[in-house]
Amino acid sequence: MESTELPAQADSVSLERMKPRNARASPNGRRPVFVDPDLQFIRALSRSGGDSLKKCMQCGTCSAACPLSPDSHPFPRKEMAWANWGMKDRLMKDPDVWLCHHCNDCSTSCPRGTRPGDVLGGIRQQCILHYAFPRFLARWVSRPVFIPLLLAMPAVLLGLAIRYRDTLGEALGLAVPGEDIIVYSFMPSLPHWLINSFFGFFGLLAFLAAVVGLVRFVRGVKKSEVWGDDPRPVKGLFPSIWSVFIKVFSHDRFTSCETDHSRSISHFFVFFGFIALAVVTLWVLTGPYNPLIRGEFVYPFSFWSPWKLLANVGGVAVLLGLLLMIWERLYFGHLAGTSSYFDWALVWTLFLVVATGFSSEVLHYLRMVPHRQVAYFVHLVFVFALLIYLPYSKFAHMLYRTTAMVMAERYGREAGTHLKGVPYAGEMTDVSSGAAGGTSADTGPVMADSMGGTGSLPPAGNGGST
Amino acid sequence: MKRSSVLTEKNRIKWATFFTILILLPVGLSVAGFALSRGQAAEVFLEAPDPRWESCYRDAEYMRFHHMDLLKEIRDEVVRYGIKGGITLAGCGDCHTNRDQFCDRCHEAASVRLDCFGCHYYPERALDRELLRVGMIVQATQDGR
Repeated sequence: MESTELPAQADSVSLERMKPRNARASPNGRRPVFVDPDLQFIRALSRSGGDSLKKCMQCGTCSAACPLSPDSHPFPRKEMAWANWGMKDRLMKDPDVWLCHHCNDCSTSCPRGTRPGDVLGGIRQQCILHYAFPRFLARWVSRPVFIPLLLAMPAVLLGLAIRYRDTLGEALGLAVPGEDIIVYSFMPSLPHWLINSFFGFFGLLAFLAAVVGLVRFVRGVKKSEVWGDDPRPVKGLFPSIWSVFIKVFSHDRFTSCETDHSRSISHFFVFFGFIALAVVTLWVLTGPYNPLIRGEFVYPFSFWSPWKLLANVGGVAVLLGLLLMIWERLYFGHLAGTSSYFDWALVWTLFLVVATGFSSEVLHYLRMVPHRQVAYFVHLVFVFALLIYLPYSKFAHMLYRTTAMVMAERYGREAGTHLKGVPYAGEMTDVSSGAAGGTSADTGPVMADSMGGTGSLPPAGNGGST
Repeated sequence: MKRSSVLTEKNRIKWATFFTILILLPVGLSVAGFALSRGQAAEVFLEAPDPRWESCYRDAEYMRFHHMDLLKEIRDEVVRYGIKGGITLAGCGDCHTNRDQFCDRCHEAASVRLDCFGCHYYPERALDRELLRVGMIVQATQDGR
């Protein structure tokens, strides 16, 4: 498995060039694989949830247990092999990493106590870091040291925008006194046009960055091995987008999971609550230009306005879903999966957005005059952290997973039939892990020897025996 | 973790449809309201500007955002320091004759409870204002001024 015949400094580009062009003509019909372990990648992966990686003995139980895995090139066994060999290039191009919904059916059925679900979660984090543009922002978002900087940036920018709003308004030609049809502004120092243009500007930057990342991702995934030698689309682009849309909305993939089934409920709540909040936010932001609004636009809404009701119900739904997520991750970590900083960052950012939003609302009803505006300012800072850092945080799963699912749909990479008619795959886990407990101690050192080439990590000697 | 009986593979489409309809309900209501009121003139929410606005205490923009602070300030002046002669609610009523258009619509729409009129009287009609003036004259005569 070591690539001794290759120069040590060979990078991925030169490796691509060294591949024989007539690979298909080789005697056994297989392409030769050159392995150049990316030790830094393996180390990063181990830090971001994949610390059980080296216990893998390639038995393939995980692929058999996974309800989402397709019949051809099933996952996560091959991803475990690639990750063990440090084949970052292949993993970054792999759409299957994103078809996984981290339900941990594989992790609980592994006879050696490896957690492929968590490893795949780590690979997804590395994938977001890999495709992000500019990359340094993704690196900042994935490290807790940068929390003060990441929050100070929007706070200072928004503070400056408020301080120099008159100059800004004149320069942009937006602030026309008396022309605002909003009857009552919640925060006169932060007028409607200022919030719109502030979040509009940075939202546009984030959108462009996300597009760059997605284009890179699509280009990479097209070159993946999983499509086979001659990939042909079985569906048009728009039909596949539509069926993915239905799948995402109905949580099709989540509900076919066994082990961490409650993940589907918490995600369901957060998903629909967030969409409700997004719809209300868009309605309010487009208020002054919306032809559906006749007469003046009264803001803040009355408590019993349909929009306010939707916003409150949505906020409560997100909060409930998040509390369920946090509870799962804290007390059922073995089922919900290892949570790295990257995972917690998204959960807590979203939690803080909703918490500061509700506190701003309550303070508004209590008429506490400087307090409600301060709470609103803090709320906006967290909204910035959630939305503008979207392409760099775990929130980017929204983009990458959807894209990968659309491509899989288009090229007919359906979930396999191997588990159809097996209602409770999770029940098999106790049997298999119990029976395999004895044998894992024997296989452990063998694997450790064969993986010795990657060096830097302690070999998984005793981890497999449960 | 135990499999949920609430959100299952079979009923997930129903749940998703239910939540989607719930989310689209306010949009639907707005579109329906727009379609139904087509052809009619847009509802005027605020009172039309009074030609005498220049004689108001401050400009409309200031009054819209800060009238509550102003009223509290004047209340303190009158009640605590005995400084009279500033603006009064009766004074507002001289130009803004319609309390419903001037106060209540906005306050209702924004869910802000008004507690002025628990004690104070808003002179809405010309007759009311006349009666109030007569009453004040009578009061002043009785005081011996």
